[in-house]
Amino acid sequence: MTSPRSWLVYLGLVVGAVITLAPFSLGLLTSVTSASQFATGSPLSWPDPPTLENYSGLAGFGFGRALVVTALMTAVILVGQLTFSVLAAYAFARLEFPGRDTLFWVYIATLMVPATVTVVPLYLMMAQLGLRNTFWALVLPFVFGSPYAIFLLREHFRAIPRDLERAARIDGANTLDVLVHVVLPSSRPILVTLALITVVTQWNSFMWPLVITSGSQWRVLTVATAGLQSQYNAQWTLVMAATTIAIVPLLVLFLAFQRHITRSIVVTGLK
Amino acid sequence: MPRRARSTAVGYALLAPSLFGVLAFLLLPMLVVAWLSLHRWDLLGPISYVGLDNWRSVLTDPVFGNSLLATLGFIALVVPTQMALGLVAAALLARELPGSGVFRTLYVLPWVCAPLAIAVLWRWILAPTDGAVAAVLGRQIDWLTDPGLALPVVSAVTVWSGVGYTTLFFVAGMLAIPPQVHAAATVDGASSWQRFWRITLPMMRPTLFFVAVTGVISAAQVFDTVYALTGGGPQHRTDLVAHRIYAEAFGAAAIGRAAVMALVLFVILVGITVVQHLYFRRRISYDLT
Repeated sequence: MTSPRSWLVYLGLVVGAVITLAPFSLGLLTSVTSASQFATGSPLSWPDPPTLENYSGLAGFGFGRALVVTALMTAVILVGQLTFSVLAAYAFARLEFPGRDTLFWVYIATLMVPATVTVVPLYLMMAQLGLRNTFWALVLPFVFGSPYAIFLLREHFRAIPRDLERAARIDGANTLDVLVHVVLPSSRPILVTLALITVVTQWNSFMWPLVITSGSQWRVLTVATAGLQSQYNAQWTLVMAATTIAIVPLLVLFLAFQRHITRSIVVTGLK
Repeated sequence: MPRRARSTAVGYALLAPSLFGVLAFLLLPMLVVAWLSLHRWDLLGPISYVGLDNWRSVLTDPVFGNSLLATLGFIALVVPTQMALGLVAAALLARELPGSGVFRTLYVLPWVCAPLAIAVLWRWILAPTDGAVAAVLGRQIDWLTDPGLALPVVSAVTVWSGVGYTTLFFVAGMLAIPPQVHAAATVDGASSWQRFWRITLPMMRPTLFFVAVTGVISAAQVFDTVYALTGGGPQHRTDLVAHRIYAEAFGAAAIGRAAVMALVLFVILVGITVVQHLYFRRRISYDLT
């Protein structure tokens, strides 16, 4: 099995892995190097001794709060998007009412609206509502569900055998009972996929939080990292600690769900 | 209540939150951005109607023209490179040797991380005096401030973080090719090189097209990477259109002009999407009823 050819394949794969991992490893090492060692030695010298001073230093720049705001924002949007997307997808998949198909096409059409284009008008709308620099401004545009999630969920709901739902209805279940006890349990994989997409997207989001918040009160991790980098350009050990904090939670999530994520990227074109 | 009326009521009740979201935060902003393109606003003062002034000034603005060209150059650098490297990686992974799954996971890592954090990481790696590359090479190269280097370097960082994602699609596309086709070609004496060009690539056309189109659409909107790596410089060489919209709106406080630019970008992206749909409708029929 280990023909010379396989060795070449492995060689190629390892080269790719090194190119992928080297920047992360170097950044991580720098984040545990003391500022004084970094300033005097080579930027690539081994941390001696490794230190967490950069991480504790970040607290002074409001990174503790930024972590909490980011987690809260992600959680609120996650719960809202999943709940409201499930409700809408079920209505589109199973209920009969006038205007249903037209509305569905309206939802689909909004898939073409890019976030880059809506940032400017959304900013004006939030300003008019007096919501600039509030937690509401961070979550409102995303919390009511996503047309993309609704589209995917609808496809899945339609594939669930109707007999299951009929049986529950005959037993006296109402729409909500059917959703909670029949539809959701048989849609677990797609729900996990959507939850992961939402967490990745929101945790990493930058442009909207950057424009709609100011100061430290509602600053998220990406904005705090960018601010630290532009302000303390030379203090790379500190900046690498910030970068690590912004990256590591998602890396952990990714490794925990890696099979699921790699599969769902291909299924959904996760973006 | 009659059954039909009740079904209608329940239907709209379930739709209500997402319908509000779609109307208020996706459709209304499109109207607002069109309206804003006819007005002048500096983020703080009153909003005044200026007719087509913004359109005239943006469409004749060399800075915006430059920004569209830079975006085009960026797309031309990023999408083909990313696809070529993705094909190479996929060709290695699709042999499904033991351990391939681990490598596939590793390659996707950068893509899961915040593009902003990735850009800050690379900013250190490429820092001219105390960065990792400078330490390895032992000499200073101004990767991000040299006008000739900046755009290729920003493109390279984008490719680095996106290759794994592209690879996943290509692996799936390659594994979907029936093995009998390859076996038959091998029997006929085709080398693996010939099989790649004559069988693998042609049979992956839908995948290649999908990856190319989504690649163009996302490259056309890259913002975080530019913001943290170069801030659009040097000499506007990396001033990609999403960054120009941001700089115009929140740097120069020219919201009306930014609205025009956003609409131009929108029209371009919709154009690309429509072309994609026309292509795919011929091959795959979606059941949307």
